[in-house]
Amino acid sequence: MDTVAGATTTARTAAILAVPPRRFVRLPDLRDNQVKYLLVLPAMLVVAATAIWPLAYSLLLSFRSWRLARSPVPGPFIGGTNYEQAFTTSEFWLSVGNSALFVLLSVAATTALALGLALLLVRGGLLRRSVQSLLILPFAMSPALVGISWRFLFNPEFGLFAAMFGTLIPPLAGINWLSTPALAFSALLMADVWAWTPFMTLILIGGLASLPQDTIEAAQIDGSPAWRILFGIIIPQLRPVLVVVIILKTIFALKQFDVIFMLTQGGPGHATQTLVYYAYLNGFKYYDMGYAAAVSWLMVVPMLGLTFLYIKFVFRRAA
Amino acid sequence: MKRKGGWGRVQDGLVVLAAIVVLLPIVWIALAAFKTSVDVFELKLFFTPTLQNFATIFEPPYLIHQKLLNSAIVSICVVLISIPLATCAAYSFSRFRMRGERAMLVTILATQFVPAVVIVLPFFLMFRSLGMLDTRPALILVDTAIVMPFAVWMIKGFVDGIPLETEEAALVDGSTRLQVLRRVVLPMAAPGIITAAIFAFIISWNEFLFALILTRRDAVTLPVGLQLFNGQEGMQWHLLSAAGLLIMAPMIVLALLVQKHFVQGMTMGAVR
Amino acid sequence: MAQVILKDVEKTWASFVAVARQSLTVADGEFLVLLGPSGCGKTTTMRMVAGLEEPSGGEIWIGDRCVNNVMPKDRDIAMVFQNYGLYPHLTVGENIAYPLRVRGVNRTDREARVAEAARKVELGNLLHRRPRELSGGQRQRVALARAIVRTPAVFLMDEPLSNLDAKLRVTMRAEIKHLQAELGITTIYVTHDQIEAMTLAYRVAVMKNGVVQQIAPPAEVYDRPANLFVAGFIGSPPMNLITGNLVDGTFTAPGVALPGAGTGSRDGVVLGVRPECLSLCAPGDGHMAGTVFTTELTGEAVLVTAQVGPARVIARTERGFAEATGATVGLRADMRQLHLFDAESGLRLPEMASRLPELVPGE
Repeated sequence: MDTVAGATTTARTAAILAVPPRRFVRLPDLRDNQVKYLLVLPAMLVVAATAIWPLAYSLLLSFRSWRLARSPVPGPFIGGTNYEQAFTTSEFWLSVGNSALFVLLSVAATTALALGLALLLVRGGLLRRSVQSLLILPFAMSPALVGISWRFLFNPEFGLFAAMFGTLIPPLAGINWLSTPALAFSALLMADVWAWTPFMTLILIGGLASLPQDTIEAAQIDGSPAWRILFGIIIPQLRPVLVVVIILKTIFALKQFDVIFMLTQGGPGHATQTLVYYAYLNGFKYYDMGYAAAVSWLMVVPMLGLTFLYIKFVFRRAA
Repeated sequence: MKRKGGWGRVQDGLVVLAAIVVLLPIVWIALAAFKTSVDVFELKLFFTPTLQNFATIFEPPYLIHQKLLNSAIVSICVVLISIPLATCAAYSFSRFRMRGERAMLVTILATQFVPAVVIVLPFFLMFRSLGMLDTRPALILVDTAIVMPFAVWMIKGFVDGIPLETEEAALVDGSTRLQVLRRVVLPMAAPGIITAAIFAFIISWNEFLFALILTRRDAVTLPVGLQLFNGQEGMQWHLLSAAGLLIMAPMIVLALLVQKHFVQGMTMGAVR
Repeated sequence: MAQVILKDVEKTWASFVAVARQSLTVADGEFLVLLGPSGCGKTTTMRMVAGLEEPSGGEIWIGDRCVNNVMPKDRDIAMVFQNYGLYPHLTVGENIAYPLRVRGVNRTDREARVAEAARKVELGNLLHRRPRELSGGQRQRVALARAIVRTPAVFLMDEPLSNLDAKLRVTMRAEIKHLQAELGITTIYVTHDQIEAMTLAYRVAVMKNGVVQQIAPPAEVYDRPANLFVAGFIGSPPMNLITGNLVDGTFTAPGVALPGAGTGSRDGVVLGVRPECLSLCAPGDGHMAGTVFTTELTGEAVLVTAQVGPARVIARTERGFAEATGATVGLRADMRQLHLFDAESGLRLPEMASRLPELVPGE
């Protein structure tokens, strides 16, 4: 496409020249200079109103005591008591542990599987491209629907996957996955990995496709074995994309709620209760608003850290 | 890049296996939508399909058409509000140098990554005091929050891809700023804007947590409506599958339409 | 039809000077080429004339008005971009008609003028196609047609031929030159290709690091380069530049002795002599001695690269040259076509030459 080629050329030329990339520098027309701020204003207002304000409000709320069931207005200011309470409640730490374990396992599994699948599919050809076009489907499914579908699939009596696993691994036959802590956790992992791997695969395919072919071909001509090329050339060059994938998946895993709600409701017991779910319970089951806000904000801190990392990465590569 | 025969076959096999794994849950639910509850219970692969489930979910007490209407209205409104605003902002970010530009972009991006539960609390309380719980406008406002940052970044990515030269050519040829936008930029960005709109629609349609918290009865959307199928004897999977199919099917069609632009949008240009 | 004057115009971005403060006048109807390597400021200068870049200082005049605060659309200019800048969603005909359309020209007039412009660039039967269906050369013609459809006061062209393949460039060059002569419109043309500059320009302005090094008709830039940069930039193969010393009027360098090259003595002198002014002779005869590094047949001549001391010197000779690589050769310079430059400042040293180089007859 001419326009795409042109844009890329222009960008690359600007980069080479170390001249500031060309932007519109409009003539000193006061009206024009204001227009550009006016254009971003509505969007920024929406973001401010719907993201920044709630975040700030949540923070303030976390310093108060407020049981919604008892009083319709926020209670008194109690400083860091809510946070203290969190740090001294075992259920809180259990949720943190669950979150950590969940994130670790799902990110590892997703990244490995996505990389493998991407390597398989990038070769192209009719079969692979058709399969690639299917990869967007799990993204199109509502996570809530994913959760409830997998609950269906692991139903002890007529769940397809329960039956399949039962046949493949005899000790598992007839067991109710969702009422066994370890198995429920595994089911949750499977559902999450199933939902996200295709998405990550698409990203990695894009990354693989944009790798310069020259180094790979040179290595092939030199006689390198395939695995050497994979680990010595492809994966190192793919590192930026892999980092993006890992950071994104970590963030999405930390945010995960819908699937947990529909699949296990945090159970059995607290086996699949993550920090997000714990916050939800406190806010909308026990209606302890202050405490829920505090727990939520404890999550925001690592999220912001991850976001900062992601942004540093994206901005470093763009332009 | 031909592989030796044996290894190649194994690879083909793995690709097919991957396809099966991806499709299986989706297909299974879709099939279950056409099964009677008995067929579901007996885990039958071959069965006589029935449309009865779809008829049932439209009747009381499920009244799925209400949820369908709510989902549709909310999603359409979200798109109608967020996309024009996002386009304006995206164009400005792409073409102009502004003070605090980087801070603004970073903020927009960061809000994307905050867990919904942090945001839903204040909204719940606010709407409660305004008496706006269980209303569609409440959902529309909140869903716009989720969609807007994503739309700005995605459309910005597409506008960035329009060569500046073409706009400059239009300026030199005699257009005013507004004419350039109308006659040149918008037509060229149209595929990108439509893609962003479709993504926005999908996200809004599939949204669960906000709908769960902020609706009770009147404004319930489809994903939340899935809970309705918990009967006295347990989940009525055949009915639920039918509802699930209603949720899935339009999104699958839309997603297949835009899948080519997928990577660019979601990674916001980090991967070219 | 207007003259373009830049008065003390400069462009800086923070501390980076893209275009140093200088003045420039383009006469009415003139074809001025801004020539230089990437980053020399030539495109920036042109964009300031177009109004796409705001000057950090100075005034820009088109015709009899100062256009510093005038929008591009009101400057009565037309521009051809490096990547053509065609509107992909419009047909060729609509692309060409665009400048007329946004000015409210009615349909009949529009169609007539579009047809006329298309005819001039030989695009007649492609009016209903879209840009993506056209070849590079055809797209270039569409861009040209769009520029001439309005007959503006000034043409601006930003490396319009650099995306075409070599052969096409030659034909399009001729077409552009013919078109400009026919229409007589003041043209500012930006390129890094010195052949384009030489063949197209009435005057060439050679730029480096934001400063115009020399502005003169092509023959003068070729025959009397003002400094080392211009000398080395113009001409293909490039002028041979040998660093050495002037001792009592004789230029000396390893393997080189040219008595009578200049007058007096001076250290740090660079001798410039073009390949076509060097001829090969027997080793021992002539002004330089060296060994053949390589020979290249260009079709109508043979280019011999000889290693003379630490320097490599290119000489242009006839087809019959038969020496092999490594053979010793001598080179003789045409004493009427020598250039001397100061090694440190790069400036030409006219007073040191014993004779001024002659201008080649015909210009």
